[in-house]
Order: sequence, then C-alpha cells, then structure tokens
Amino acid sequence: MLNITNLKVDHGKLRALWDFSLRVAPGERVGLLGANGAGKSTAMGAIIGLYPSAAGSIEYDGKPLKRVSTEQTVAGGIALVPEGRRLFAGMSVLENLLMGAFAAKTRKDIEGPLDTVMALFPILKQKAKQHAGELSGGQQQMVAIARALTSSPKLLLLDEPFIGVAPKLVDEILDALRLIASGGVTMVLVEQNTHRALDFVERAYVIENGRTVLEGNRDALLNDPTFSSKFLGLE
Amino acid sequence: MSFDVLLQVLIGGVLLGGLYALVAFGLSLIYGVVRILNFAHGTLLAVSGVLASLAFSAWGMQPLLIAALLAPLMFVCAYGYYHLLLRPLTKRNHFESTVGTVLVTVGTLMMLSDITAKAAGATQRNIPLRLPAIEFGEIVISTTQLLILAGIVLLTVVMHLLLKRTWFGRAVRAVTQDATGAQICGVQSTRIKALTFAFGSATVAIAAVLYVLSFPVDPYMGFGLTVKAFTIIVVGGIGNLPGALAAGVFLGVAEGLTGLYWKPEWAPAISVVAMLLILVVFPKRVGARI
Amino acid sequence: MSGANEYTVRAPSVPRMWSGSKMAGRLLGTAVIVALAAMPFVGNAYTTTFIFSVLIAYILAQSWDWVAGEMGYVNLGHYCFYGIGAYGFAIALTGHWPFVVALGFAVVVTGLVALFVSVPLFRLHGDYFAFGTLALLPLMEVLAYNLTPITNGADGVVLPVAQVLKPAYLLALAACVITFLATLRINRVRFGYALKSIRNDEQVAETVGVRIGPVKRKVLVLSAVFGALAGALQAWQMSYIDPATVFGLNVALVPVAMVLFAGSGLRWGPLVGVVVLASMQQWLLVSVQGYQAALYGLTILLIGRFMPGGFLRAKWVRRVPLLSSLAREHHEYNGESAPLTRSTADLPLKRLPVDRQKPLIELQDVRMQFGGNVAVNDISLKIMQGEIIGLVGPNGSGKTTLFNCISRVYTPTAGRVMFAGQDLSQLGRDQIARLGVGRTYQIPRPFGDLTVQENIAIPLMFGDDPLSPRDALREARAFVEYAELSPRLLARADALSVQEKKALEFARALACKPRLLLVDEVASGLTPAEVKRFVEHIRHVRDRYGITVIWVEHIFSALQQVVDRVIVLEQGSLIADGALSDVVKDERVLRTYLGTAAAAHAPQPAIGPLASGAA
Repeated sequence: MLNITNLKVDHGKLRALWDFSLRVAPGERVGLLGANGAGKSTAMGAIIGLYPSAAGSIEYDGKPLKRVSTEQTVAGGIALVPEGRRLFAGMSVLENLLMGAFAAKTRKDIEGPLDTVMALFPILKQKAKQHAGELSGGQQQMVAIARALTSSPKLLLLDEPFIGVAPKLVDEILDALRLIASGGVTMVLVEQNTHRALDFVERAYVIENGRTVLEGNRDALLNDPTFSSKFLGLE
Repeated sequence: MSFDVLLQVLIGGVLLGGLYALVAFGLSLIYGVVRILNFAHGTLLAVSGVLASLAFSAWGMQPLLIAALLAPLMFVCAYGYYHLLLRPLTKRNHFESTVGTVLVTVGTLMMLSDITAKAAGATQRNIPLRLPAIEFGEIVISTTQLLILAGIVLLTVVMHLLLKRTWFGRAVRAVTQDATGAQICGVQSTRIKALTFAFGSATVAIAAVLYVLSFPVDPYMGFGLTVKAFTIIVVGGIGNLPGALAAGVFLGVAEGLTGLYWKPEWAPAISVVAMLLILVVFPKRVGARI
Repeated sequence: MSGANEYTVRAPSVPRMWSGSKMAGRLLGTAVIVALAAMPFVGNAYTTTFIFSVLIAYILAQSWDWVAGEMGYVNLGHYCFYGIGAYGFAIALTGHWPFVVALGFAVVVTGLVALFVSVPLFRLHGDYFAFGTLALLPLMEVLAYNLTPITNGADGVVLPVAQVLKPAYLLALAACVITFLATLRINRVRFGYALKSIRNDEQVAETVGVRIGPVKRKVLVLSAVFGALAGALQAWQMSYIDPATVFGLNVALVPVAMVLFAGSGLRWGPLVGVVVLASMQQWLLVSVQGYQAALYGLTILLIGRFMPGGFLRAKWVRRVPLLSSLAREHHEYNGESAPLTRSTADLPLKRLPVDRQKPLIELQDVRMQFGGNVAVNDISLKIMQGEIIGLVGPNGSGKTTLFNCISRVYTPTAGRVMFAGQDLSQLGRDQIARLGVGRTYQIPRPFGDLTVQENIAIPLMFGDDPLSPRDALREARAFVEYAELSPRLLARADALSVQEKKALEFARALACKPRLLLVDEVASGLTPAEVKRFVEHIRHVRDRYGITVIWVEHIFSALQQVVDRVIVLEQGSLIADGALSDVVKDERVLRTYLGTAAAAHAPQPAIGPLASGAA
C-alpha cells in the first residue's frame, strides 16, 4: 500500500533524511523506531506532504506521492496524528473532529465517521462542546486520533501518540487502536518505547541518523542480539 | 452641557466605535491567519470611503449598491495583492520577511493616499443622505445613524456566522490556532491566507460605506485608523469579535467625550496613548510575536 | 624555516591586502572629508544645500541602523527624535538661549523622551514593534499641532537666524564623521556584540550573560540623541519648522528606505543608500511634478518586495570589485586570525573547588504550570558539587522544562531553586548566567549570523569576569579548538551542520565558565564512537575543572559510563533518584520505559536496554 524507497528530505539547508525506506502492506501494523532526532517525524511529515522530498520516491496505492499536496494526500486516504497532537485549543472537540474531515471529498458524509469515533472514544461525546485545550493530555490524544479518523483514512500514521498520556489511558488508546486496525485500517506507529511498540505492531523498522538501519518482524527483532545495540546504543 | 448633547455624542461614539471594531476585526483576522500587520489596512477604508462618496455625488449611486460593488472589487484586488506582493516574501528569512512586509504595506499606504488625494482631492467628504429624523420625545435619532447601526449589526452577525458555522470560518480559526495542524487536516494554507486577506479587506470596504454615511473621510486618515485598529486588537485579543466590539465602542466613546469635554483635536492621540499605556500595564496582552 | 617567515609566506592573502587597503581607505576618506568641507566655500548655495541634506540624511539613517541593523528592532518612528530635536532646538533658540545651550537642550530632551517611551515600546517585538513605533509619529504630530503655547501649532516656529548655511553645513559634516566613527566603535566594543546577540536570539543572549534591558535602552537613547542632532541642525539651516515637515509620514520613512535600499547592518549600507537615493530624490524633485509621495511609496514598495535585504547583499554584488568591498558585513572586519600560542588541551577555565558534601543546586518543591497543564510537579532534589547527574524520562516528562526553570527561561509557579546557597527567584536570567549556570538547548540555538568565533566570544565578554572583545575573540579560539571546530572558525553559525551546531552549543556553554552545566540531549544522532568521545568531554570538564553536570539523555549506555546518579522523571514528577544500577531495577521506571504489558512478557534479559546495564 505504501512504498517508500531511498527517501531524502531536507529541512531548509540541512538534510534530515538520507536514505529512508519503508514498506507497508494493506492492513498491516508497522512500527518505526529510533532515538530522538533520528528522523521519524520527518518521515511522517514527508508522507503526508508537510515536507517536500529532495530525492527518492513515495508510492501510495501504486501512485507516486511526490508532488502531491497535503490536501490531496489526505483526500486520498492518509491521515496523520502528529507529534504534539496539534489540536485547535480554542475550538470545541466537535469542531476539531470536523476539521479532520476538511479535505474529505464529501463533507456531507461526515455523520458516519463521527458516530464511529464517538463510539470508539465515548468520552468525546461527553466533552463534545468543550474547548479542546481544556482536556487532559490523554483525552487530547484521543481527540487527535479521532480527528484523523473522521476522514475515514485507509492509512493511519501515528507519531509518538503516548507522550504525556497517563498509563491507564495509554491502554485504553491501544485497545481502541487495535479495534481500528481490525477494521482494516493500515497503521504506521512511531514510538520511542520499543517494547510498547513491538507489542502492538507486527513488523518494525529502525531508523538512525536519517537512515533505515534495521527491519524485521516482531519476533525476529526481539531475538536479534544486534537490535538492542543498534537501536539502544549499547556496545 | 445638556443631556441631549451628551447623548448625541455617546450615540455617535458608539457608532464610530462599532465601525472601528469592524475595521479592527478585519485586521485581526488577517493577522491571525496570514501573520502580517497590514499597515495600509486603514487606508483601505479611506480610499473606499472616498470612492463611495464620489460614486454617490458624481453618479448618484445609492449606498447599498455602492457597498455591493465595492466589496467584491476590494476582495479581488486584495486577493491579487496578496499573491503578487506578500506571498513571495514568506519564502525569505525572518528579518527580511518582516522588513519586506513592512516596506510593502507602508509603500502601498503612501501610494494609495497620494494617488487618491491627487485624483479626488484631499478635502474631507462623505455621503450626505439627508433622511428624515426620528424623534423620541427630546431625543432625536437620525435615520442615517439607525442605518449605520443596522449595518454594523448585520455585518457583525454575518461575520460571526461565517466564522462559526462555515467550513471557511472553521479553517480560518484552525489556521490561527495551529497552522501545521490545519495543514494536516488538508487545509491548503496559501489559499486560506489569500482568502482571509481578501475577506478582511472586503470587510473594511463595507465598513467604509457605512462610515461615510455619517463621518467624513479624507485620503490621509488611513494610518491613524490603522493605529486605532491595532489598539483595539491589543485590548480585545486576536480573533475575538466580542472583544473587538467592546474595545472599539470604548475607544469611540472616549474620543467623543474627549472632543466634548476637552478639545476634538486631541482625539486621535487617545488611541496611541492608550496603546502605550496598555503595553506598560499589561505587557502580556500582545500575543507572543517574536 | 624560521617561524616568522613561514607565517608571512603561508598566511592567506587577505591580511596583507587588507592592511594596504586600510591605508588607502583612510587616505581616501580624509580626502573626501576635506573636499566636502571646502564645498560651502567654493560651490554654489544650491549644491551646498543639497549636500547638507545628504549629510543630515546620513546621520538619521546611520543612527537608525544602530537599532535596526545591529539589534534587529525596526524603529519606524525614528523620525520622532528628529522632530523633537528640531522643535526643542527651535523653541530654545527663540527663547534666546545661546546656540550651544539650545543644541544641548534639544539633545537632552530627546534622549529623555526616548528613555521614557522605551519602556512600553520594548514590550513589543518584530512587526508589532515596527507598528508601535510608527504610531508615535501621528501622536507627535497631534502634540505639535495642539500644544500651541509651546510649539506655535500649525504656524510653526520661525528661528531667529539668518545665513547659517556655512556653519550648519560644517557642523553637519562634523556630526557625520562622528556618526561614522561611532558606528565603527560600536562594532568594536562589547556593546556592539550585545546588540548583535539580541538581533539573533534575545533569550539565549540573556542566558549567556547579556543584560538585554539596559542595552536596548542605551541604543535607543543613543540613536535618539543623534537623530535630535540632525533635527536641530536642519531646523537651524531651514530657519523654519512646522508639524507636517517634521512629523509627516512621507518624510519620516525616507531615511529608513535609504538604509534598507542598500543594506541594513552593513558598514557602508547607510552611506551608500543615502547617497544613491538622495541623488535620485533630487532628480525626481526636479523632473517630476506632483505624485512625489506616490513615487516614493512605490520605491519603498519595490525595495520591500524585491530587495528587503538591500542591494548590497545581492549575489551579483560580490563579483563587482568596488561594490564587493562596500558589501562586507561588520564581522568580516573583525576576525582574529593570529595563531594560537598556548596548548590547546587546556581550556581557559578556572579549576573550581569541589566539595562533594555541599549541594550546588537544590530544588525545593518546584512546580511549573501552564494553565491546566502541570509540566513540573513539586519536584525536590539536591545535587552536590562535582556530581554528574543523568536526567532521564520519556518525552514530555518535563526534563527540558526543569532546565528552563533553573535557567529562568520560565519562572516557576511555585517552589524555590537554590544555587550555591542563593535563592534564584530574585535574579534575572543574565544574573543567573553570570552566577555560573550554562546550558545547551535540545535544538541548537546559535547566534546564526555571527561567526563561530563570535558565538563563543560573546559569553566570554559578558560573563562574571568579562573580557574585551579582542581578548574574548582570542580566548574563544581555545574553546573552538576544543570543540574541534577550528576549520569553521570564521564560518557563520547558521551555515554549520547539525552536529557542528551541537558542538558549538557545548563550547558556548563552557565559555559561560559555568559551575553548573545543563546539557540537553546532545548525543542523539551521534555514532557510538562520537558518543564515547562526548562522554569523555563530560568527564573531563568535571574532573579537570570541577564543573557539575546535569545531562538529559536517552542513550543509557552513554550515561552509564559517567554518571554518579540518575534522576528519573515521568509526567512532571520525580519517580526515582539514585545510582543507575538501582534505578534500573525500580518498578516504576521499568513500567515507564517498558510498559506494563511488555514488562509482563519481557524477553531474555540480555535484550532489555536497562537490564544489560544492570548486568
């Protein structure tokens, strides 16, 4: 479904990604692991069209994504839950959810997805009229995920969704994500906590200094003695 | 000082303040989305006002028609202006884009004032409607003033609805609060910025038509008005319509009272002094714009 | 191969050529000044008046650029100072005060006004500042029109003078020379570097010891004084002023446009801009009737749209020989390139006495709250002198916020920070920096348009034991060498790669001569070998110079090699504080890093990141 090959992305004058590759099949759950500053968020941003790519290719459903705007990418079925959530703090929870469907081809069809996400995170229904900025960290994360879901994406990108979320809510969100995945949504999960990530995904990539350095399915990675050293910097 | 005079001054002040608020709100919308302080914003009102009064006196057009023509005209011109002159500056570094937008908008201000003055004369003008007045006992309310009030209320309601109920309005608010977040929702930032700039400027054009029904305009009043708009934004907050209204009315009434109890020539100074005072007493008021 | 000869032979050609052209430059400059001084005696009144107006414009333009080009604050109301100076002088003169007294009066009054308005104005930044200052002009105009008893209102003031063109001209010429020399001086002394650091990053400037408040006020008053001088001299020569000619918007932005046209912040920018645009304005005045304001507006608009950096900064200029020497940035005149004589293994840092029993820094119930979000939740901890502490925790746990509370980037909502027995809550950021707190930032924040050398020299100039710029630049080389950035000594900081910027951050923090060094995630993105070298640096600064270090880091293996203790944060609260080997066995820590579910079926111990540390 998503096929990234040898991607190079610049941030102004500096190269943030040197050689990034990633492949996700429809319905898969794939993890992207790596230390801070390794380039995980840059990769997600590049997929959704926030950063232009200098070289390499991104293919989605067989079609190249290189010169496509964010608007078209989202309309095409990719949604990003960004690092730091990036909610609209002064707007109500409901309005935040509506914004998620901004690029949707038929905004009239928003009733369906809205009901779905409300069912997934019941607390959102309760807090629908409240300003998003007043919610707790975990609740805000739910809003961010729900916002991404209102466009009924086929591919969901999650960039470090558990930062600042209380452990209890982390479990709740993970359950919700499993439910979404079972509905056929493909997922890429960017995480710092390796074990939490590997618990959820089937396959994972490790990125270091802007390059993909390791790839494998869950068990292979966990049993790989070089995995810890490559990722965790142990000698 | 009789009560009627005071009341007249107050009514005038409220109306004037409401118009100030509309102008300020346009500037505030633009600033929230496009992150540019348009120094020529007030001059748009001056130029529109002069055009409106010309249309009335030379071609006999009615204010409603004038507004209906002027607003779309301003919208289109502002849209083009943004794309041609302002958008290319966003690609430069911070100092150059700040300096560049200041120079471009100030240059525009100077050009518009001078050309308007040379083309249409620098004297003050307005649209004298001469409608019959309405009397409530001792209080005389001119129909013109009622019209202006109706216009202000209508414009405010329309803006409020636009911002709260439409996709465009939601996008405007979203971009103001988190531009990147809006982008990942699929909001096309260039288009929204250009549309907001055009919309904020068109609002001023409509406000101008209402303005000239009762208050005089001249080609050089623009910058003073922009200063007042800025003061209102600082007090009322960016993107806050009720706040802008309250601050605007307060300013309008203050100016009127200054003219009544002191000297009218001092009125323009109030807004600047108020702004400086507010900055001293409430330094956090202005959004972190560094 | 004698040393001296080798140096002379192998030195880059710039110094030799430079000293030669320095002489030539000085001769040329003196010749020009002499020629100009002769003008009123040999030329006609028209030309003299024209040149006089150019001289006045230069004083205005250059004094403006001290605030705008050097410090980065675009003061659009600069002309106010001109106007107040003009009026002050005119009023004093009509009051029959002697010339010198009147001049002094004008200058002093304007300076005081500048001091007074600097309080509200410097609450603004960026385009808000530009706006606020521009708003002063109509205010001044209204005051001038309405304070009739003082200013004579719209009638203006007629000065009781006649035929003063010659003396006015000569005084203006003298003032120009002083203005130029003042510019050179500003760029050579610490004050100039303070301005430039503010231009780049005010907040960081404070945390390396620059007193930004006084600096801003000083430069505004200085520019006001020179602006007032220009106004007084112009009023004297014209023998008449009124509100419009002095505060009008169309004249007020002329000097600004002149500087921006050529290039703000350059040594020759204001002069070149003034000469070119004044000549152009003269031509316009003569050849074009009406629409002058519109044409000027158009010029300003075009400059803003196409050359906001000034034409001297355009790429093609560097290829034209004469122009390229005019286009040099200030720091190109300043570089310190004498070879180092001392051994580079040693940094010019004092060895601090270390008493492991005494706490260097203590946090008492520190809380940092942003609205409803509690980022730091009543944290108490004590760090002894000479310790190396690892500060760990997941993203969002409050580590950087804690650093910000210590260095006063944020003021804690509650609680106290005690440093060497002193309560930091009464101190400003620059005072804390000078007390001995140095830090790096997670995303490097160098002074972008200054060179590597200047970046490091600035903390040396503003620290507890301040050095002159010359000494600071020289001493900076030791730090640059230590950071292995010597090949990039004269490169602009914003041209460095991310790794180089991190090295620069670290060296700059050391140049603050800290007792406490806060290191915020420097090792990410480094290869294991580079990490090891960095660990050695940390160990070295503690062992050799007695610097206490708090190091935020994710890479446990790095911390493991050097830390005495580890403090673990989670969601703003302190959940563990002790030796690394103990902390990794702590329940809460394991849960934070591994997650409950994963901890339940954690695979072989050899894989877990913390387990092997324990083993």
